[in-house]
Amino acid sequence: MTSLVLLYVFYLPGKLRLGPEKTRLSFLQERKETVYENLRDLNFDFRAGKLPEADFKTMERSLEDEAAGILAEIASLERFEEQRS
Amino acid sequence: MRGFSQNRWSLAGLVVLTALLAMGAGDDARFNNLGHKLMCVCGCNQVLLECNHVGCAYSDRMRGELAAGVERSESDDLTLQTFVQKYGPTVLIAPTSTGFNRVAWVVPYFALALGVISLVVLARNWSHRTQPVSNSASQTPDMLDAYRRQARKETEL
Amino acid sequence: MSQLGSYALLLALALSAYSFIGGLAALVWPGAQSERLGETARRAGIAVFAVVFLAALVLVAAAFADDFSIAYIFHHSNRDLPAPYKFATLWSGQEGSLLFWSLLLSSYGLILRLRHRTDTRLFAYASVIIAAVQVFFLLLLNFAAHPFAVMQGSLPPDGNGLNPLLQYPEMVIHPPMLYLGYVGFTIPFAFALGALIMKYPGEKWIHITRRWTMVTWMFLTCGIFLGAHWAYSVLGWGGYWGWDPVENASFMPWLTGTAFLHSVMMQEKRGMLKVWNMWLIFATFGLSIFGTFLTRSGVVSSVHAFAQSSIGDWFVGFLLVILAVCLYFYIVNRHHLRSEHRLESLVSRESSFLFNNLLFVLFCFTVLWGTLFPILSEWVQGKKVTVGPPFYNKVTIPVTLLLLLLTATGPLLAWRKTSLESLKRNFLWPFLGAIAVGVAMLVFGVRPWTDISYFYALMAGMLATLVALTVISEFVRGGRVIARHTGQSLLPSMLHLWHRNTRRYGGYIVHFGVAIVVIGILGTPFNQEAEKEMGYGDKVSLGPYTLVCRSYTQEDNPNYGNEWAIIDVFRGGKQITTMYPERRFYKASQQTQTVPRIHATVREDLFLVKDLYLVYEGINPDTGRPIIKAHLNPMVPWIWIGVLVMIFGTITALFANAAPVRVTVPARVPEPATVGAGD
Repeated sequence: MTSLVLLYVFYLPGKLRLGPEKTRLSFLQERKETVYENLRDLNFDFRAGKLPEADFKTMERSLEDEAAGILAEIASLERFEEQRS
Repeated sequence: MRGFSQNRWSLAGLVVLTALLAMGAGDDARFNNLGHKLMCVCGCNQVLLECNHVGCAYSDRMRGELAAGVERSESDDLTLQTFVQKYGPTVLIAPTSTGFNRVAWVVPYFALALGVISLVVLARNWSHRTQPVSNSASQTPDMLDAYRRQARKETEL
Repeated sequence: MSQLGSYALLLALALSAYSFIGGLAALVWPGAQSERLGETARRAGIAVFAVVFLAALVLVAAAFADDFSIAYIFHHSNRDLPAPYKFATLWSGQEGSLLFWSLLLSSYGLILRLRHRTDTRLFAYASVIIAAVQVFFLLLLNFAAHPFAVMQGSLPPDGNGLNPLLQYPEMVIHPPMLYLGYVGFTIPFAFALGALIMKYPGEKWIHITRRWTMVTWMFLTCGIFLGAHWAYSVLGWGGYWGWDPVENASFMPWLTGTAFLHSVMMQEKRGMLKVWNMWLIFATFGLSIFGTFLTRSGVVSSVHAFAQSSIGDWFVGFLLVILAVCLYFYIVNRHHLRSEHRLESLVSRESSFLFNNLLFVLFCFTVLWGTLFPILSEWVQGKKVTVGPPFYNKVTIPVTLLLLLLTATGPLLAWRKTSLESLKRNFLWPFLGAIAVGVAMLVFGVRPWTDISYFYALMAGMLATLVALTVISEFVRGGRVIARHTGQSLLPSMLHLWHRNTRRYGGYIVHFGVAIVVIGILGTPFNQEAEKEMGYGDKVSLGPYTLVCRSYTQEDNPNYGNEWAIIDVFRGGKQITTMYPERRFYKASQQTQTVPRIHATVREDLFLVKDLYLVYEGINPDTGRPIIKAHLNPMVPWIWIGVLVMIFGTITALFANAAPVRVTVPARVPEPATVGAGD
């Protein structure tokens, strides 16, 4: 039993299959998803009549600003990656 | 532990029954009221009158004593005190509102007050906090507008 | 057999120690070899599961083989014990249940370690933390509470048996559910602490642990209510919750866990409350360890407590270590937990979560305070006092009602800011509905001014209606938005709505269940009871029911001897059922137990189901006739129905969201003059 267990634990032939490292790009993708989710919620709440148009506009504007910033950074990172490869 | 103690049960039952019969309706309410302020001390952790008392070595006797106390028309405090004398302070179901025991009752409200105050202070601080500026200084307004449109399109609903 | 078990436990300890130390080393000294070292640590963690599983298997096999040379089997089983309870031996005593805890932790660890590719580094941190917790439990098992300790002296012919109070079907399911809940909080804890230690960028760890937390919460909910149901069906006093220290111990992590489930959404969506959430999950994990400590140390007296033992010191030590580690990393990395947004309006989803958290934590604090006050009192004034139901009810019932009010308003609030206008408009119909229910209750004879419990019942009825109506109105309102957008009819739109955001709408279903449970709990003043000595043909009437004693008798079998009565139940002259309240005398343990019988009047009152609850109290020796106590509990079945709704809601919240309608349009961006990395 012990040798079986030890064999399983310590016998690692070949290259390890690990998950991808977390990069700035994947972090930005997550952020983008979150901001998008918030934008969808905002849209939905507005259509369900929970906020007046004026509030909706300002909040939409601020979220879109945030999203645009993230999208821009993603795009520039991707271009940078492309140039490098 | 709990055995078949029918003799004891019937005896105590008789005591309680006769006591109950002898009491008026007001006594009945008092018995009920006081019985809900006492614990059964057998270790079952139940209110005296809600203890599943058959076979319980204590609660039948305690109910008898309580009925007798009520019948003697003692004050509520005196009756409860008699129980405390006999069975110790743990026989009372909740801490009294005197001395250190008062702390037990006060602390939760104190915590509530503290919680509400800190919440209000926190909420105030938060609403005065300035919004962090997003890091998009290197982009021209035109580009940002394009991205903004993209974001809007992708999140219609 | 005991040797195999002992060896497995030692091996498991060695493996989890390796998993901890090796994994830690790999994280602290990154280098070419550290990846391989980390991988061996991960595999050691997986192997722990296999080995602990083997140990548990040996213990269960020993129970089935009636191997009384093992002290634990001798103390918790006997030859005539029915098979399911022999299986349950694994958790019916101190040592076994610690082994079971360890087994569950290694199972959760197994799943986590198998899924490590989601985010290798974060999972490595979580794995190391879990290994550390595992080391603690295996140390306990090997050196303080050994389940395979052998009997000294001559071999006993039969075991002591299982406490008859525990010989009930729920014994097989209640403890595992509760333990799954307790142990499960280790996972979000490990991720949270790991994320703090490595200063994990972003909130993805919350997304990863979301399902773990919900599943854990569901198990704990199931465990707690199964326990309540068990008490109701076995103890025979017609109640289900006694604010016993051990009940409290399971309830406290539930309260902080529920608070966490809500407040963590603020972090996930808006990057707020990071410090609070971190401490909330630390507290939840700490409270589940603390609960285990309460049950096992003999610090408080309780019907649930295991025998008094020295392992309390181990738990205190472990709790201190947890606190020190959490505090250290919090202080060192607290800058990482800075909030990203501000609170924009007091009328918002965010602020409703803040109040929700305040109330849950206050609730938890009150329970903790009440549980520990007897110890404090002994320490300060030299005498123990009892802190019983009246204390808890005084604080917790108003808090529960306030929480219900928040449950009703929360869904109507939008994130960030809501207009008061819309709030008034959306609240109007549910509010009128609640008023109507209140008026109806007054008309049907609820007199809130006579007794506070009637007032609570009235409030519970009204607030629960409010919750139900706001939940329904949210579904309808959202469904309409979808319907307008897609052109579907309302019902498919509502289904679509749920599928778009399963967590939110599943959560609303859970709220609905909670409202039903609260109705059940605060409906106690409507209970009725009657007690009578019943000979052949004797009658008792209770509410609309008439109970007639048909017969009574005695029987005997190897496990227990029993006495029981046969009671026919009539309503409006028609017989609806026959019930058999019973009393048993268990031979192995020399203990008596009443077996109450419960008839839920599902068929007679479809919408107002009641419980008819009969207890065989004993025999009057003078007449030889049984004494029967009958309870009519009109609201109690709603508790169990509500819990089922809560579980259903949680399950629907576990489904993956449907992908949003994606219109991916690449932005047409004018060529920039320069390109920066932008990091």
